[in-house]
Amino acid sequence: MKPTRLRATLTGLALVPVLLWTLFPIYWITTASFKTELALYAKPPQWLFTPILDNYTRVLTNIPFFQYLKNSLVIAIGTTLGSLVLGTLAGYGFARFRFRASEAVRFLVLVTRMAPRMVLVVPYYLMMQRLGLLDTYTGLLVAYVSFALPFSIWLLIGFFVDVPLDVEEAAMIDGCSRLGVLIRIVIPIAAPGLVVAAIFAFLVSWNEFLFALILSGVEAKTLPVVIAGLNTDAGPLYGEMSAAAVMVMLPNIVMTLALQRYLVKGLTLGAVKG
Amino acid sequence: MAIGRAGRWFLLPGLVFLFAIDLIPLAYSAWVSCYNWWLIRPRDIRFVGLANYTRFADDPEFSRAVVVTTLFTVGAVLVEFLAGLLLALLFAQPLRFLRPIRVLLLLPLFVVPVVGATMWRVIFHPELGVLNYYLGAIGLSPLPWLSDPRLALVSITLVDAWRTIPFMFLVIYAGLEVLPSELFEAAAVDGASAWQSFRHITVPLLTYIMLLAILIRGMDAFREFDIIFVLTGGGPGTATQTMQMLNYRAFGLGHMGEANAIGIVTLVIVAVMCFVLMRAVLRPQGARG
Repeated sequence: MKPTRLRATLTGLALVPVLLWTLFPIYWITTASFKTELALYAKPPQWLFTPILDNYTRVLTNIPFFQYLKNSLVIAIGTTLGSLVLGTLAGYGFARFRFRASEAVRFLVLVTRMAPRMVLVVPYYLMMQRLGLLDTYTGLLVAYVSFALPFSIWLLIGFFVDVPLDVEEAAMIDGCSRLGVLIRIVIPIAAPGLVVAAIFAFLVSWNEFLFALILSGVEAKTLPVVIAGLNTDAGPLYGEMSAAAVMVMLPNIVMTLALQRYLVKGLTLGAVKG
Repeated sequence: MAIGRAGRWFLLPGLVFLFAIDLIPLAYSAWVSCYNWWLIRPRDIRFVGLANYTRFADDPEFSRAVVVTTLFTVGAVLVEFLAGLLLALLFAQPLRFLRPIRVLLLLPLFVVPVVGATMWRVIFHPELGVLNYYLGAIGLSPLPWLSDPRLALVSITLVDAWRTIPFMFLVIYAGLEVLPSELFEAAAVDGASAWQSFRHITVPLLTYIMLLAILIRGMDAFREFDIIFVLTGGGPGTATQTMQMLNYRAFGLGHMGEANAIGIVTLVIVAVMCFVLMRAVLRPQGARG
């Protein structure tokens, strides 16, 4: 056996427990969502079974799932748009505009991400209560845009800096305004960056739990809060809970797989470029 | 080409928004933390100065929360770092079949945290869980994963590791990818062993990125909420009651002064951690450059 063959075999063997650990929980809850009650509680655990859709139909009819889905989607899309607009403007500003404290301010933007959210949510709750914005889309939306924005800004700076300057200058000579250059020249060139920023902003909002738990009651309740609510020891509604969980993680899985190249670049950009 | 003065109109909307949304609640929180403010007694809101803070000094529940948070953070980051490093080294090998598998390793990081914790709660279930069934099948006794005070802390650490090993892996892997391969070739020509080139080339060149990853993860683990909330809710008893969970409980009971005081203390701790680690990270960088 050649050394590379040996190495490949050993690596392959090492991958088995790694993949099992990583993927088993996802596999298990996905299959659970297609099992009958009997199959769910069967001992030994059933690996082969006839899939059924009852859990899905029950979740969709027993709780107002579509209402919660709409809440989650509206807030996530709003967060995406808000952080893209503000992030594009600020990212471009940082990429092309040097001022004395430029580096420090850019760093401060990142530092805002470090504050424990629990510190923010309690005063935020009291303030939203005063403003009558508890349990509204607006209350969550504003918070989520501020969560997604630092990353969007940092990511977009990286993409905007790479846009060739002479293209921009040529457009300015042709009479384009600064904003016109940004919209017509820079954004199309940096489009992949905007896609990554958009996905991350969407996921920040889609995944968020603490603020949703505390700020939303009935009207603006989002899906993670619903999942946590289905998760009780008293009556383990495992089938329904699994079905809801699978539907909630589906967009995440699809986005990750479809855009893996960009996601890897996006996540590591800040760390590697320093 | 500088934008000149127009630049501020690009920067201002985002920056004003960001700092307003962070700083106004923080200032308000610091103010509320100096009051005796119980939501169910709205007429009895009194200024008490720093009493909410001084009380922490001899509150066993608070010091317990500090210990639990520290154990969880240190344990989680240690496990995640070592596992992430090993995986990154594994995947940095020039083997073609590794590429398509890479993305599968990243999935836990992108799954909704509450959903991820839910999966593990099903797996950990004492009677119905698949984990205890197979432990029994190979002749071991089933374990109370989430109901034993000591084991519960280990269990939530494992679930946190499941979720964020991919982050460590990704950052270190990206760092490995950009290392100049000539260095390793030269070392191999000089007869260096795999361990020697790891110890003397990889580690020194990756120190900065590894510290950065530890810093980011450390601060994230310190404020972890979703996973603990779903898996144990801070229990059994106070076994997994981190400072975040304690804060949430104070809020739930309507003790606004106390909740805000705990929040401000955690903020100060995270800020100090951030400062200390930043200095450790930035100093060698400065010395090199």
